[in-house]
Amino acid sequence: MAGQREAQSVPWFADERPAEVIADGVRLDGRSLEEFRNVFLKTGVISQASGSAYAEFGHTKVMVGVYGPRQSERRVEYSEQGRINVDVKLASFATRQRGIFGQSPEERELSAGVQAALEAAADLASFPKASADVYVLVLEAGGGELGVAATAAALALADAGIELFDIVVACSVSRVDGCLLLDPSTDESFREQGGLVLALLPTSNEVTQLVSRGRWSGSQLREGLELAMGGCAQLESAARQCLKDAVVAAAAKQRQQQQQAQA
Amino acid sequence: MAAPLISQGEVEWITAGVSYNTRNDGRKREDFRHLKVQLGMLAQATGSARVQLGETDVIVGVKAEIGVPDADRPDCGRIVFGVECSPVASPAFRGRGGDELSSELARALERSMYPGPSGRGGGIDLSVLSIVSGKTCWVLHVDALLLNIGGNLHDAVSAAAQAALADAKVPKVQVVQGEDPSDEPDYEVDDDPSEAMRLDASGMPICITVSLIGGHCVVDLTVQEELCSAAAMQVAVDASGGVCGITKRRQKGIEASLAMEMIEVAQRAAAQLHTALSSSLAEQQGQQQMAVG
Repeated sequence: MAGQREAQSVPWFADERPAEVIADGVRLDGRSLEEFRNVFLKTGVISQASGSAYAEFGHTKVMVGVYGPRQSERRVEYSEQGRINVDVKLASFATRQRGIFGQSPEERELSAGVQAALEAAADLASFPKASADVYVLVLEAGGGELGVAATAAALALADAGIELFDIVVACSVSRVDGCLLLDPSTDESFREQGGLVLALLPTSNEVTQLVSRGRWSGSQLREGLELAMGGCAQLESAARQCLKDAVVAAAAKQRQQQQQAQA
Repeated sequence: MAAPLISQGEVEWITAGVSYNTRNDGRKREDFRHLKVQLGMLAQATGSARVQLGETDVIVGVKAEIGVPDADRPDCGRIVFGVECSPVASPAFRGRGGDELSSELARALERSMYPGPSGRGGGIDLSVLSIVSGKTCWVLHVDALLLNIGGNLHDAVSAAAQAALADAKVPKVQVVQGEDPSDEPDYEVDDDPSEAMRLDASGMPICITVSLIGGHCVVDLTVQEELCSAAAMQVAVDASGGVCGITKRRQKGIEASLAMEMIEVAQRAAAQLHTALSSSLAEQQGQQQMAVG
């Protein structure tokens, strides 16, 4: 990446990237091929924001704040549809090499990727002339950032009460030495021959984002997409549970406050 | 951006036409416009190509420089993609207006041509660009300039980039080690063009944008048609039909089975475009050889 080349970061504790990431159908971190990392999802983590979410997939940690819908900035033109602006920032300590100041090309691409994944899910006509700003902060990049960011951002939009046709769930698949790996870590995607990220509206089975890297034959791609769809189905239940938990917790808190007020 | 405008009536006209498999210019849904390629018209560049796809007009120049390889890939050269949206082509590109489009186009090119982090799976064998492992390599700057915008920029830019890379003649370099091994080696650059290395363009993918208009898959959209489409997939396909990169564009979602169909449409269209491009390249390279000989 431009700008990073001049300074070399000192690899104090960084191990070499492992050459083999699968042994006997088991991955480096002990997962089977079609298993997620430990997934943790939570909404309502930023008190200032209209909606927020935190997602953790193994070492990938992402925080999202949604502000708005609020009046669009002056410089943008009038639009009968609402806008969703996405800004993804990788924390400067998120990757092996320290990030650069300002928006890197990688961040710009992530932002565009997440934006496309969300736009098809939100009912943009429900907030004309206004825009919802989605700020994504990747605290640690441990692989599959685009998918995790899109999933978390959709939860944050839901938390902000923005009307969605469905939640968005997204997951990645890597192809390493002929095996398809669900939810790859950075070490795994470093060895991949092909990778893809799929974002889905699970109820209508509608693809809102699909990004692929590397070379895929038609049949491999079909298999990869099927695995990703299976992964999205698993994530869907986790995401819905997370939203339900948030509602239950909010109701319990309200009840408690009422009781205190009466007492 | 001051987007070109379209009326509701025009949208309905184009959408209805597409559903009858007839478009305004008489093409069918999966037909490309005439692709015109000219090679080697920039004397200062290592390789160059101008591609005209209907009204769309793109010029690409490749410049070779000697640089340092990536730390992750010491045995590989580098290719840097850049796209300039000049205000000549559209008033919307005034100031920083074209930045978003140019970075989008450049990233799309890079993703289709460049291997993954493992150094495998890309369209180009970057190891031929290595000079001294970990120290020096060729850096190819692929710069595209948009001259006229007539729809389907992505595909035109990608075809032009492939043609320009195929046209590039990278000088032969010999590394001469001094007597003392601790000395910095000398480089001898051969200035004989007939000795120069050519890149193998046959493995390079071409980007095909498949758009949805009224639920039908359409390729090679004009500006007017682009305004009628709510969802599109950009698929980079190499000569053997392998998919080398997908990106979904525009606002709407796509039903999953339809998405697979769009990829298949892209594979079919790419096969045609690859044949057209490679025959045009072979013809022009033959003419160049004749001129040199």
